[in-house]
Amino acid sequence: MIPKVNQLIEDFDQLGYVVEEELATVLLLTLNLSKPLLLEGPPGVGKTEAAHIIAALKNTELIRLQCYEGLDANSAIYEWNYQKQLLSIKLSENQDLSTKEKEDHIFSEDFLLKRPLLKAISSDKQPVLLIDEVDRADEEFEAFLLELLSDFQISIPEMGTIKAKHKPIVILTSNRTRELSDALKRRCLYHWIDYPNFKKELNILKKRVPQFEQDLADQLVRFVHYLRSMKLQKSPGIAETLDWANGLLALQFKSFSVEDIEKTLGCILKSESDINLVKKEGIQTILEEIGA
Amino acid sequence: MRADHFTHYDSFQEALTGFTTLCRDYELKVGLSHAMEAMELCDHGFAKDQLTFQYALKSLYCTCEEEFEAFDYCFRTFWNKKKHKYNHTMSKSKTQTNAAKTNKASLVMAGFNPNGKQEEPKEEAKNVSGASRIEALKKTDFTHVSKMDSELLDQLAEQLLRQLNHRLKRKMSVSKTGPIDLRKTIRKNVSRGEDIIDLIKKNRKQDKYRIILLLDVSGSMDKYSFFLLKFIWSLKSHLKNIEAFVFSTNLIRITEFINQDQIDNAMADLTLNAHNWSGGTKIGECLKDFNDQYAKRILNGKSITIVLSDGLDDGNPGLMRSEIEKIKMRTSKLVWLNPLKGTKGYEPTAQGMQAALPYLDTFQSAHNLESLLELENILAHA
Repeated sequence: MIPKVNQLIEDFDQLGYVVEEELATVLLLTLNLSKPLLLEGPPGVGKTEAAHIIAALKNTELIRLQCYEGLDANSAIYEWNYQKQLLSIKLSENQDLSTKEKEDHIFSEDFLLKRPLLKAISSDKQPVLLIDEVDRADEEFEAFLLELLSDFQISIPEMGTIKAKHKPIVILTSNRTRELSDALKRRCLYHWIDYPNFKKELNILKKRVPQFEQDLADQLVRFVHYLRSMKLQKSPGIAETLDWANGLLALQFKSFSVEDIEKTLGCILKSESDINLVKKEGIQTILEEIGA
Repeated sequence: MRADHFTHYDSFQEALTGFTTLCRDYELKVGLSHAMEAMELCDHGFAKDQLTFQYALKSLYCTCEEEFEAFDYCFRTFWNKKKHKYNHTMSKSKTQTNAAKTNKASLVMAGFNPNGKQEEPKEEAKNVSGASRIEALKKTDFTHVSKMDSELLDQLAEQLLRQLNHRLKRKMSVSKTGPIDLRKTIRKNVSRGEDIIDLIKKNRKQDKYRIILLLDVSGSMDKYSFFLLKFIWSLKSHLKNIEAFVFSTNLIRITEFINQDQIDNAMADLTLNAHNWSGGTKIGECLKDFNDQYAKRILNGKSITIVLSDGLDDGNPGLMRSEIEKIKMRTSKLVWLNPLKGTKGYEPTAQGMQAALPYLDTFQSAHNLESLLELENILAHA
């Protein structure tokens, strides 16, 4: 490990984030090469979190673009505030202004609704741009994104071209519901985040839910790891582990008994068939298996 | 011997270039810009520690998780401090086994039955000409299409599929309700000054459906699998959201192979990579693979799953039933196209078919072009 990576891990640690060496290296590389970073991995392992931690580290704004099917350039870059423009035209009807002046007025920045991408580009301080679940957007949008990620400029016909004052730090996440295009991948650094190992997850749990008792935490993480080894429809992520710990804490459970687990299973398993599968396997059996 | 260890190079820069070349040999998609960026990251001090160097280069050179193994292997071999002991067996053994398995597959690709029982087209391949010939061809069972006609059939399929796709698209955009689209409304009314007369409504774009095709290429399907594969390929070239798999005793994803402009290239790629042709049939196990590996990722409320199989299964029907049920739960529509259904007097009595029937939304034949074109109705009403 080079000292810079070590430093980064410590910085993150102070901010309350547990980051392993590989991710830290890749994040450092992202900052150094100013290349976008594509993160892939199963849901709930902290892909989005990675963007948050960079924003926290750099003490800068996090601008998030949540992708969905049918997302178009209008809702991702900018839109004119038409209602306001129409009103303004009506209001200025009796004023003695030339057409040119009127036009300049209604196409000024006051009437511009900035959407995430434009916001990221026109920001005064280098922001972190998180393009979340990019695999959900259409291929057309992906192509558009390519253009943006290579030039970092946007042209608005009425106002001209806006060039980025500071190249944003770009993080893309994908759940792999479809393969992204090679062109997009080629422009990005790539990192695969997997479910954390036992030690890391325990660390995270300790960091996030410090009130949670040590050996209880130990058992809980073991239990979650066992669940992940079963072939469930939806394996629990780190978020679920934390939810569960908080749930157990709220209910003031002091031990890790079969009844308590059964009552709170909904914190960690999100489908009926998974719950049934676990019940069929027997919570007692699982507890014995993990040595609780 | 090729220089595949860093000690073979004089300088670090040259070694890095050598490593890049090695990675390309292992089919990592490393471009020129990547190599330059690799140099850059060394300037930033990432090369001072081996593990950091590995992590950094990995994020730069890999584009998906599947490439990690090859990359790690290259890295271990190339940058290993001791003189390396690794032999380049990994890719070689792979290509050899592929080559062995290819022969059989390529025969099927070419439309032959690899078991030597090449059947001559029989009486049903009618020798008629012109329009009636085309009509006849549409109704001819794939097994009875002669070699001459098969070209015509390809053209016909191409043409009909294009029309089908066009119709589907049209159906998707006509709609007159919805909120007002101000941007378009203003555009449209510019000529009228400040009065807005025509209101343009936003048409909600119909959600695109994803189509998942699972093609049975086991021995019993030999007669049909070639045509059905062609069909999948032409479907792929007209509709965007398609995922395709072939299965016999194991499951192989072929989406990337059929994603080619030329059918010949697609077939060649397939030949190299899909080596489960003409095997036995373990539908249950293959569907299980599908559920475990892909279903979560690619099935959603807007997907249509189409299974192309004769349902003759020598696996466990119980397993098949539960796996079919799982697919049914994840997909919005489950369609089974069975070539045998076109045969007169066919009853779905095969065990596998019996197990699947209760979960199917549609059960249709797929023995000739006409029956395949029926798919339009399924897609349009999805």
